[in-house]
Amino acid sequence: MSAILEVTNLHHRYGDVQALAGVSLSVGEGEFVALLGPNGAGKTTLVRSIVGLIKPTSGSVSVAGGDPARASVRQRLGVVQQDVGFPRTLTVAEVVEGAAARAGGDPGAAPRALDEMGLSDVRRRRASNLSGGQQQRLQLAMGLVADPVLLVLDEPTVGLDVSARRAFWATLAERRRRGTGILLTTHVVEEAAAVADRVVVMDGGRVVAEGTPDELRRFLPGRRISARTTLPVEAIRAVDEVVSATAANDKVVITALRAEPVVRVLLQLDNNLNDLEIAAPSLDEVLADLTSHRKKVAA
Amino acid sequence: MTAQMMRLEVRDELLAIRREPATLFFSVLMPVLFFAMFIGLFGPEDGADAGIIASYGTFAVLAVVMLSPGIGLADARDRGWLRVKRVSGTPLWMTLLAKVIAAIPYALAVLLALTVVAVLVGSMAVNVGVLLRVFVVLVLGAMPFALFSLAVGARAGTTAAAAILNAILMPMVIVSGLWFPHDIMPDWVVSIGQFMPTYHLAQLAQAQVDGGPWLGHLAVLGLTTVVGAIVAALAYRSARP
Ligand SMILES: Nc1ncnc2c1ncn2[C@@H]1O[C@H](COP(=O)(O)OP(=O)(O)OP(=O)(O)O)[C@@H](O)[C@H]1O
Ligand SMILES: [Mg+2]
Repeated sequence: MSAILEVTNLHHRYGDVQALAGVSLSVGEGEFVALLGPNGAGKTTLVRSIVGLIKPTSGSVSVAGGDPARASVRQRLGVVQQDVGFPRTLTVAEVVEGAAARAGGDPGAAPRALDEMGLSDVRRRRASNLSGGQQQRLQLAMGLVADPVLLVLDEPTVGLDVSARRAFWATLAERRRRGTGILLTTHVVEEAAAVADRVVVMDGGRVVAEGTPDELRRFLPGRRISARTTLPVEAIRAVDEVVSATAANDKVVITALRAEPVVRVLLQLDNNLNDLEIAAPSLDEVLADLTSHRKKVAA
Repeated sequence: MTAQMMRLEVRDELLAIRREPATLFFSVLMPVLFFAMFIGLFGPEDGADAGIIASYGTFAVLAVVMLSPGIGLADARDRGWLRVKRVSGTPLWMTLLAKVIAAIPYALAVLLALTVVAVLVGSMAVNVGVLLRVFVVLVLGAMPFALFSLAVGARAGTTAAAAILNAILMPMVIVSGLWFPHDIMPDWVVSIGQFMPTYHLAQLAQAQVDGGPWLGHLAVLGLTTVVGAIVAALAYRSARP
């Protein structure tokens, strides 16, 4: 698998904020990489360096072997940016046709891209009059229209309703099959992990973890147990191998190193224990754990 | 490829002026209405000559060429649309040049409208050759002012850009004697006016009508272009994307 995107030891400062502190990352042909991390982790800064909007303080970015500071290299990208607006004076169709032409593609591809993003009905409306989710879909249509070699999407699912999100993930899966590389940032962790080949977790301007979704789940050993019980939380916390326990409504949620010994003790203490559920920690929890500052100080 | 991209940029900018009623009103319709009033008040009784287009036309052309590129640029940046264009691979110079090029047809349309008003209201005699020379001088001579417009648009927000550009243009226009003739103004205003590039643009256009000297005026506009280019370049150095 040859790399379409190669980011090497990237640093970027805004004044005295070190937004990127040595990020390396690659995305191969037909590979889907999800970039996760808390607010302020540096995801947008990384994206802006990749699409040539900011010149990093040091390090290098190469897209399909070229420097994104060059306009001809940027033409090969499909991009969704955070905080973008559209002019009041162009229609939806004109915006997408323009995007196709600017990328050196065929403006005749616009209707298909509009259709793919469910925007055919509003194609004659002024772009700035679309709803938030529709504007987000419009950016996606612009990014997809010219068959880019790499999609760089900064929180593309923001504002999308459930069915639009489903259509969006399906579209990305189809593009990946055709060999398009995809780098996507999102806070909808589980949805992204369901389709991503690889997950990269950033925090404080660094990559703090990287792997397949399953590999990342193993970062947080243990189990989540929830049950309905009359036992006081304090008593549960005292049980061996319990990491934490919290009462929520009439249930307790317990994080334990292993499930079986804990459940055995609980059943001994409360024989009316019911509604028992045991689950692996969610990726959200893995992420919270990986990027908590307590953890970072310890590491 | 480059030509196609440029055509697209210019088309978008032409639409941006045509589909924005406020721009059409303030930069196209209002100057023409003012002119109708102006010519009724100050027009010579025995029929106006093309000099009236040279002076008032300078203001009208600048109202298009100096306001619309800078305000449009500031608006595109405030919206985040400029970032979309940069990422799309459109070179910045193309975006800027297109804004200036798109202003030219509107400037010419205003000049034509002024001519029609001058003929109908001020019984101006038409000399096509002279009028064409005046039009060419005014449109080309307005280009250095477009550089200042883009410089302001590179730094200021939309509202501020509109205010700043009007605050630069209006006083220059008045002291240069483009609205009210210099004969009815105090001497000190006249002497300040002679330092304004707008004054020299109007004089260069006037020279096409009466065959007066033109080299000095051309030199001032050349100097204005150099200063405008430096200011615009400096503005871009520190502009946010
Ligand atoms: N233009 C700027 N000037 C100064 N500091 C900035 C600028 N843009 C971002 N920062 C800072 O850089 C850091 C990284 O910001 P960035 O936008 O890359 O985060 P992010 O991971 O995209 O966050 P989010 O999930 O909220 O979008 C933050 O501390 C932010 O405050
Ligand atoms: Mg961000």
